[in-house]
Amino acid sequence: MSRFSVHCVAGLMAGLLLAGCGKPPAVEAAAGGKPPADWANPGANAVQARDASTPEQALFVEKCGMCHREMGMGTVILARRQPADRAILERREDLTPELIHVAVRTGIINMPRIPRGEVSDEQLEAIIRHLVKVKP
Amino acid sequence: MQPQAIDPSMLARAISALRAAIGEKNVFTAEDDRVAYSDHYAPDESVHRPSGGLAPATVDEVRAVVRIANEFRIPLWPISRGKNFGYGGPAPVLKGSLVLDLSRMKRIEIDEENGTVLVEPGVSFFDLYDFIQARKLPLWLSVPGNSWGSVVGNALDRGVGYTPYGDHAARICGLEVVLPEGDLVRTGMGAMGNSKSWQLYKPGFGPSWDTMFCQSNFGIVTKMGLWLMPEPESVLGFDIEFDKPEDIGWAVDVLAPLRRDGVIQQSPSFGNWMRSAAVMTRREQWAKPDQMLDETAISAIRKHFNIGWWSVQIRTYGPLEINEATNRHVQKAFNGKKVLAMKPSRWVKGDKPLGSPVSGTPISFPLANANWFSGRGGHVSYSPVLPPRGDLALKQFQRTKALYDRYGMDYHASFSMGERSMTNVNQVLFDRDNPVMAANLDRIFRALVVDAKEQGYGEYRTHIDYMDVVAETFDFNQHALRRLNEKVKDALDPRGILAPGKSGIWPAGRRGARA
Repeated sequence: MSRFSVHCVAGLMAGLLLAGCGKPPAVEAAAGGKPPADWANPGANAVQARDASTPEQALFVEKCGMCHREMGMGTVILARRQPADRAILERREDLTPELIHVAVRTGIINMPRIPRGEVSDEQLEAIIRHLVKVKP
Repeated sequence: MQPQAIDPSMLARAISALRAAIGEKNVFTAEDDRVAYSDHYAPDESVHRPSGGLAPATVDEVRAVVRIANEFRIPLWPISRGKNFGYGGPAPVLKGSLVLDLSRMKRIEIDEENGTVLVEPGVSFFDLYDFIQARKLPLWLSVPGNSWGSVVGNALDRGVGYTPYGDHAARICGLEVVLPEGDLVRTGMGAMGNSKSWQLYKPGFGPSWDTMFCQSNFGIVTKMGLWLMPEPESVLGFDIEFDKPEDIGWAVDVLAPLRRDGVIQQSPSFGNWMRSAAVMTRREQWAKPDQMLDETAISAIRKHFNIGWWSVQIRTYGPLEINEATNRHVQKAFNGKKVLAMKPSRWVKGDKPLGSPVSGTPISFPLANANWFSGRGGHVSYSPVLPPRGDLALKQFQRTKALYDRYGMDYHASFSMGERSMTNVNQVLFDRDNPVMAANLDRIFRALVVDAKEQGYGEYRTHIDYMDVVAETFDFNQHALRRLNEKVKDALDPRGILAPGKSGIWPAGRRGARA
């Protein structure tokens, strides 16, 4: 029962912005975590784009998008470790087939491994083709 | 044979037969595969390492797998999608079991007019959301905090969401189940070969079996009927912050009657500051690794993120004119109460989409709390069920907080208000690479079980490491419930192949493995 808190959407968005400036929030930087002015629907905007223009991208959205598009767990955590523009995998230009393969099958830190029952070897190859070829 | 043992030669023969039955490429026994089907968030993954995984695509293939498992007496551990993180993920209780991965079974049939769906176990909340959005159907999901997982698996494990349909197991209407010897049954009205009301009427004729397959090892659910919430005209409510830890007492007493009389139909959940903070930030930004988070640090975090010591989100749903009256009633209940903040929330049909879990939008970011310790994190929850009373909530908080302090853990709790009960979710976040913390995780979990048992509280759901520990606390009449469960188990599964040890239910021949 991992319950959602509306603070998180606002806080994570603020976190993503700060990470974009290359500065993790510090104890003193109290202004960074203030909720946005538009508070009419707190908790809104957790929704992510689920669109795809190729079969490979559709597979990426189905298998990876929940964590690696906007507001995904992977995006949120990656934004803490590197500049925010590198947190969205589909905007990266430095992903290699080897790196993607290792991340998926062995997991990375907080990312659980993806078993072959969930993403077959053929499907993984298609996802790799999408990530290696996509450019912003 | 030892109760935990799996005969290696029988296993090898079973794997050959399985390859022939469902295809070589759907049977996974490499070391990488065994690791992939382990519990990624456990302090020691090897304890529950499976022998491999199998991924059938159809109910006929599931039946074939079950027959082979019976022939060679190989235990199967069925998973829907294996995303039950914090409870074991895809990993089996019994080391060496074969994980029966139903991820490839992804059929969805929706009845738009009646607001029901029939889904297979591989369907995730995101899959079902995409399916509904693509057809622009006016139906909302109820999603859990990690919506990566399976709709079926979550309901079977009695997961919860944020809308009035948030008690997922209560919205099940009809199952298709492969029994442990391979027979196939449909429950409720689905027991009729040509039923037109399988997803419409829950009881069926005679005994109702749906709940028997929740948190059990009596069958493999291959299809589940579920009711979906028709899109409401409005969602109104309040986000309320509380300044002091003691506020949990009176606040519970304000909400409990509103839940009981049905004014509030979803389950509002009081979460402490840590529930929000653990998702939004990392511990190292607020304290040194071996330093406790004292009130100064907690105040700094609260100030930074503008949050109360506790907070709760209340939402009401329905036609606007009714809902506005309901909302006024909720507001009135807080008149004269000392809240830190009470922000109204309002969405009316025609506004831009709410895009929130309170409107059934699937999410995964709450799992970012695995990053609280910056490195390889994990989490385990202990969640006893209490009567919905403020004085009990306050005492529960005080006793539990003292245990967290004793074992050096950061107190992370919520109290979720049901119609007649209150679930106190205590999440223990830990650093998997800190052996002291891993040892303390086990100690605090066992201490929490003992503490709750002394108060007469039992847990609603638990991690694979502690299924026997929790089952042990259900001890009326010298564990009569266990005797009943295991009598049923032996009748349905005489060779004991299905999920030995699930919920503390062991088949004959393996009961010596009970922890």
